[in-house]
Amino acid sequence: MTAASAVALVVAVAIAGALFTRRALFLTRLVRSGKPATRATDLPARIRNEATIVLGQRKLLQRLVPGLVHAFIFWGFLVLFPTIFMAIVGIVDREPSLPSGSPLGWLEAQGWYALMVDVFVVLVLVGVAAAVFIRKVQRPRRFDGSHLGEADLILALIAGIVTSLLLWHASLITLGLNPWPADWSPVSDAVSGLFGTGTATEVLERIFVWAHVLIILGFLAYLPHSKHLHIATAAINVFFGRTRAGGRLEPLEFEGEDESSLRFGAGTVADLTWKQMLDAMSCTECGRCQDVCPAYATGKELSPKLLIMGIRDHLFAEGPAALAGDDLSALVPNAVTDDVVWDCVTCGACVHECPVSIEHVDHIVDLRRHLVMVESRLPAETETMLRDVERGSNPWGKPQTERASWADGLGVRVLEPGDPAPEILYWVGCAASYDERARASAISTAKLLLAAGLDVAILGPRESCTGDPARRAGNEYVFQAFARANVATLDEAGVTKIVASCPHCFNTLANEYPDFGGRYEVMHHSELLAELVRDGRLSPVAGDQTITYHDSCYLARHNDVLAAPRELVSSIGRPLEMARSGKRTFCCGAGGAHMWMEERGSQINEERAREAAATGADTLAVACPFCTIMLDDGVRQTGGDLRVSDVSTLLLESLERA
Amino acid sequence: MVIVYVEERGELTQQTLAFARGLGEPLHAFVAGEPVPISGVEVLHVAEGDAFFAHAPAAIAQGLVELVDRLSPSAVVAAGTARGNEVLAHVAAKLDLPFAANCTNAEAGEPFLVTRVRWGGSLLEEAKMHAPVKVVTVQPHSVAAEEEAGGDPTIERFTPALSDGDLVVRVSERVAAAAGGVSLAEAKVVVSCGRGAGSPEGFGIIEELAGLLGGAVGCSRAVTMAGWRPHTDQVGQTGTKIAPDIYIACGISGATQHMAGCKGAKAILAVNTDPEAPILASADYAVIGDLHEVVPAISAELRKARA
Repeated sequence: MTAASAVALVVAVAIAGALFTRRALFLTRLVRSGKPATRATDLPARIRNEATIVLGQRKLLQRLVPGLVHAFIFWGFLVLFPTIFMAIVGIVDREPSLPSGSPLGWLEAQGWYALMVDVFVVLVLVGVAAAVFIRKVQRPRRFDGSHLGEADLILALIAGIVTSLLLWHASLITLGLNPWPADWSPVSDAVSGLFGTGTATEVLERIFVWAHVLIILGFLAYLPHSKHLHIATAAINVFFGRTRAGGRLEPLEFEGEDESSLRFGAGTVADLTWKQMLDAMSCTECGRCQDVCPAYATGKELSPKLLIMGIRDHLFAEGPAALAGDDLSALVPNAVTDDVVWDCVTCGACVHECPVSIEHVDHIVDLRRHLVMVESRLPAETETMLRDVERGSNPWGKPQTERASWADGLGVRVLEPGDPAPEILYWVGCAASYDERARASAISTAKLLLAAGLDVAILGPRESCTGDPARRAGNEYVFQAFARANVATLDEAGVTKIVASCPHCFNTLANEYPDFGGRYEVMHHSELLAELVRDGRLSPVAGDQTITYHDSCYLARHNDVLAAPRELVSSIGRPLEMARSGKRTFCCGAGGAHMWMEERGSQINEERAREAAATGADTLAVACPFCTIMLDDGVRQTGGDLRVSDVSTLLLESLERA
Repeated sequence: MVIVYVEERGELTQQTLAFARGLGEPLHAFVAGEPVPISGVEVLHVAEGDAFFAHAPAAIAQGLVELVDRLSPSAVVAAGTARGNEVLAHVAAKLDLPFAANCTNAEAGEPFLVTRVRWGGSLLEEAKMHAPVKVVTVQPHSVAAEEEAGGDPTIERFTPALSDGDLVVRVSERVAAAAGGVSLAEAKVVVSCGRGAGSPEGFGIIEELAGLLGGAVGCSRAVTMAGWRPHTDQVGQTGTKIAPDIYIACGISGATQHMAGCKGAKAILAVNTDPEAPILASADYAVIGDLHEVVPAISAELRKARA
């Protein structure tokens, strides 16, 4: 019997192992064939992510109930993992045969471990039951488009694994074969009362342990062929996830010794980086990204979940051809359509939400890069913007000579070549320089900085677009030209400290220019103004207006600037928070070069304007010129009477009240 | 010798010839495909071959490169159109020469001086050009066209030797744009309205005025977002860029994105209730008042004047 069991076990393990290994080798070869991505640095941050995001389930617990459901099952998996080997040994020899000196034998005999096993068997079952309730009764829309049948099968397998474990342990107690003190495992002990002491139980015990091991082996064989592959890949993907500011995009290399190693974004699966491939393999279709996506919420074709699933399906379909070096079909429109690629506002809500550190925005930008730089395929209006950036140094094609005209009569020093460097350079940005509505923030900011007695100057006509809209629209080449030129101007002017009022400029200057040799201390104007208020250099008088503050994606989510603008709002009036705020803010609709694109269907800015109006506030405070324009339009279009104003303008008014 | 690349007979060609005549003698012209009936040049070189029946910039440039190699001109000149700039950019690249695009003036000599348009039209730059052959294009409408005069040129045909690379980019198909009324981009008169129209029906008075003036109807982004007019009617950065003789903007505040689309207008008449509206900063004429009163009144006056 023992020998026969051993043979049967070896055969079962060999079959499952072979199925698993064959697929795992294919997946590994695919990932190893991926294009390079630099993820070797920041080891402490990676370990911290592994501890909090994987072990601590931090991202999942952003949604408490579904988060706990997953955490129970995941922690259960960790706690119960050793029982897999205990069961395998149990198949070969029913008697407790693990030498008590071995770690596994020692563990099996521990009462506390038996208690943990019992507790987590129950928690996993509770988790599975709750998951079934969520999926079958609540049916949240985030699962739209996911493989629901596959999820049902996986939940059934998990339930089968822990149920068979519980029954096996219970039958061991009935037969007196339990190496652990039975009173430490109250659940197994109670269930053991179901069985008699006869041979029937001996047979049942065999059935339970075999069932347990066979379900696990079946799961093992099925796992790498299913969306549940994330069990194997997620922890790795989280480890190699982004550690630097979320707003930074990886630069492309345009020159190199080996031309074949140059890539211009992602045209086929062979152009994906290994991290992007790992992303695709880590998605378990939970739809948290889809739930927070402003494009999806307003009825666009883009769903970040379906984007990753589309890339994954294409990767698996064409992976063998990619490894063989055969011809490949284009990712767009075969894996995802052109519209999907252009719908994204790069707000990063999906990335922030994703429990397995998938970087959707990087995928989108790489797809755009290929479409723009290799195929010249982009929305016509975006082409206009790119041309205006290239020719006019700003995305509206306005004359550079008018860039500083907002500052006429304010007494702001315009830095001429050869002038001494100012203490702080105010980087105004194109929107606040040219747009009538956004200009108010530049004027207010300049007045405040001068009132606080700071030595501040602007570059005037020598300032140009940072290149952000071109970069987010996929024209990395134009972006890099502007990055290099701006870094040269700033360095030549001896600038060390910059304040920017546009979060997009701020993000580019602070996070992306270091890749081009530009290293400056960069602050957002809300941070500097809050500091001046804190230091008593500006003394606002709070009014009784109610103010709701809209977090800009590039400020809050991509750069963690949350507290400073709120400090300002509190010093000016009575703050009211919107439902979606802080790092989970909802985009105004202008990010990712969408300021210069036409939106199809219902409008993101209208949705956000309605949300702001629902707070009942008098004023909608913003800290971004694009948000100012978009939300002001949104308020008008929805017929609201909220006043949209930059925090700097509100601060200036409150000083004037004094 | 100066060689002029000629796309077609017309005003731009006459402007380019006038510009080139100041740079040296004799004047030769080059066309791709078939001879163009022009006068005032000594020789018209015609590049023959199947490749030249559709626009193929690198192939045309190769024809010019052969001429340059053979005739050693002091300059190659073309009109600063999309095609002219494209072809001469290829010529300059193939010959490893500098290229000055969209020049408003040039003075032959050493150094060769050019004045060229920069920053999307907002700046004129004076530059010195150091090159054995000056490759320049002429900013359209910056130079007076010369009269068509003089005898017919001698026609010399040749067949440039092309490589596959010269034919990578070429016109493969022409698709006509959906026509309908007066095209917004080309209209001499555009009458636009913003959300102030109040409803899709509110555009009735705008259409009436545009009809009387033989112009096209435009609108703001807010109007297309509200679904009142198709996107093809939108004037703006993300809509159509217009360049009419007169732009009548009714109830349009003048957001940056809108103004980026009408900066080519020769004159702007704004009708707005708000005397602080940003569009007034760019308008040549303004009527402060309700468009629902002002626009029908203009139409009525036009009818009266024509009756």
